Amino acid sequence: MKVKKTNYAVNATPKLQVFTEDEIEAIYFAALRVLYETGVRVYEQEGVDLAHSGGAIVEGIESDSSLVKIPPWMVEKALRTVPRKVVVAGPDRQYRMELYKNQMYFGAGSDTPFTIDPYTGERRRAVYQDVKNFARLAQALPNLDFHMSLGIVQDTAVGTYDRWQYLAMLEETTKPINITAVDLDGLNDQLEMAYIRLGGKDEWRKGPAFSLYIEPVSPLSHSEEVIQKLLFSVDHEIPFVYTPCPLAGATSPTTLAGTAVQALTESLFGIVLSQLRKPGAPLIIGGLMSNMDMRTAVYTYGSPEMALLSAGYTEITKWLGLPMYETAGCSDVKTYDEQAAMESAINIATAALVGGNMIHDVGYIEQGLTSSPEMMVAANETIDMVKRIMRGIPVTPETQALDVIDEIGPGGHYLEHDHTYYRFKEEIWRPQLIDRQNWEDWNASGAKRHGQRVRERVIEILEEEKEPILEEKMYKELRRICELADARHKDEELDMQLFV
Amino acid sequence: MSEILSELATAVIEGNSDDAIDLTEDALDDGLEPQNILDNGLMPGMDHVGVEFRAGNMFVPEVLRSARAMQSAMDVLKPLLVEGGVEMAGKILLGTVKGDMHDIGKNLVGMMCEGAGFEVKDMGKNIAPEDFVTAVKEFNPDIVGMSALLTTTMRSMGHTIKALQEAGLRDQVKVMIGGAPVTQSFADKIGADGYASNAASAVDLAKQFAGV
Repeated sequence: MKVKKTNYAVNATPKLQVFTEDEIEAIYFAALRVLYETGVRVYEQEGVDLAHSGGAIVEGIESDSSLVKIPPWMVEKALRTVPRKVVVAGPDRQYRMELYKNQMYFGAGSDTPFTIDPYTGERRRAVYQDVKNFARLAQALPNLDFHMSLGIVQDTAVGTYDRWQYLAMLEETTKPINITAVDLDGLNDQLEMAYIRLGGKDEWRKGPAFSLYIEPVSPLSHSEEVIQKLLFSVDHEIPFVYTPCPLAGATSPTTLAGTAVQALTESLFGIVLSQLRKPGAPLIIGGLMSNMDMRTAVYTYGSPEMALLSAGYTEITKWLGLPMYETAGCSDVKTYDEQAAMESAINIATAALVGGNMIHDVGYIEQGLTSSPEMMVAANETIDMVKRIMRGIPVTPETQALDVIDEIGPGGHYLEHDHTYYRFKEEIWRPQLIDRQNWEDWNASGAKRHGQRVRERVIEILEEEKEPILEEKMYKELRRICELADARHKDEELDMQLFV
Repeated sequence: MSEILSELATAVIEGNSDDAIDLTEDALDDGLEPQNILDNGLMPGMDHVGVEFRAGNMFVPEVLRSARAMQSAMDVLKPLLVEGGVEMAGKILLGTVKGDMHDIGKNLVGMMCEGAGFEVKDMGKNIAPEDFVTAVKEFNPDIVGMSALLTTTMRSMGHTIKALQEAGLRDQVKVMIGGAPVTQSFADKIGADGYASNAASAVDLAKQFAGV
């Protein structure tokens, strides 16, 4: 082979850069300082004791919590054992996520109290069937790689909704699932359900079939329930997402760098605790960082600050060599519309260009309070479009096509050429919901706006004939766990029909 | 309106606590009645802030700073007003319910209510029904405000209302609730007296309950 090039670099995927390495280091060292000098408040004695036994300073002891200060060496030690790659597979192993450095996966968000009815467009409390519908959409949409419960099931008991959500998702999808748990009992039940679905505990050992969402409370607080879930997950080989959700200007500094420092401090505490419990325990850090809108006092999901902070934080996690839980595909609208398309396109493109590993919240509208089937279906195509950009422009003798240019020459055309025939499908992205017809054809085909085409696609997917994923016997076995949980927790309920 | 009261209103609008205190003391030294200072200095300032906030010309941190200035001036005026037999806007007991650590919204409501002249006792977060009951007995509030961010902890609002009923305290307080997943229909279902979807509406609701 003739070699004529020297020091020739290619750029396989276009990219976005927020920080330099120097800035990332500055943020990391600042977080180490906060963790050591300011400390974090921990509301679970077992977590306090574990940190203390590992070298942490414990002070500010109150009846329900202690202030825990972690010296930098403890963090550096934990970072040496925390896995740089985390794998989560779907229950039948067909789909899997290999979360590390430059790998990119998109998926839903979780636990919205409200949803938009796919048929009536009405905003109402989410029920079991909605969670099933969203899982069905996720299964059908090729650019969604993992799934979360896009709605809190509210037509069952309140305190056990997590098991029902997991069941609803298992009914409709075989993609990896990031679950939520009401409490430790809920987590335990869902793990039992996963064992059943996989065909035994040993199958879980070969590769976990879900990850768990855990959210410490900003600023710098790690609640009882959060620490319990973390320790349980480590003990039971459940990979977990440890994602603070700081709100710049309200629960973290209004300056984005300050918010990144605080979020990293919160995440690092999770890393230290998990590695103290069991070196090598897998976790994914994140994840949702945004600003308070100072006019409405809401947590914004469509702001440029959200996209920018998530992107910057992703660079920090890459530098640390840790999988990242990113945020995109979401908006602050009340119903899917032009603003939703605009905000989600910006945050999807930003997340992809910087390269978050597990990019969640596809389908969120109204500041994460409502799930929208249209948002999810539309985002699938936006992700597809962005993925085309991510494929970049490979520069080779074949793609430069000098011989073809020479052959066609001035004044000819390329439409009939083999070079076009064999390459156009790969080279030129083709949309499904985006319309590019001329006016006459668009008018003749019903003059449908984007939103209408998206809505029709939602219904089309929901009504497609499909074999059930779960066999009747397994469904009943899984459902039994949910029903037993309801029976156990009945006394906590005010009213079994509290929300619907 | 005298010049000093107009300056006081400006101090509140600009969120300048030091000026608000100084001007209040100056006004008292000039012989102005406490009620006059409140009605024609502080309140017009806060009313202006409310109007500008709703119009989108002022923002949360600015409103909170104005509320703080108002509160600082009220600390000077309150003993004199009480001495003169003037009824205060009312007392509000606030807390984020049991199991819930998310209290930023509740904090915002507390600060805004203080700015509106209420006496606010904020119990903090993760507050059990029995602790609300104890606090109602001790503090004797006109209004109890509860917040929750999670659907699971929303139940605790209902449990707290039941606990107040069982303690025979329900009739002596108005209960208002809020939080991202909370709705008017939920408030109706658990027997709360009111629901507010944001901090400014919570202040309006509290004023309505207190009859001011």
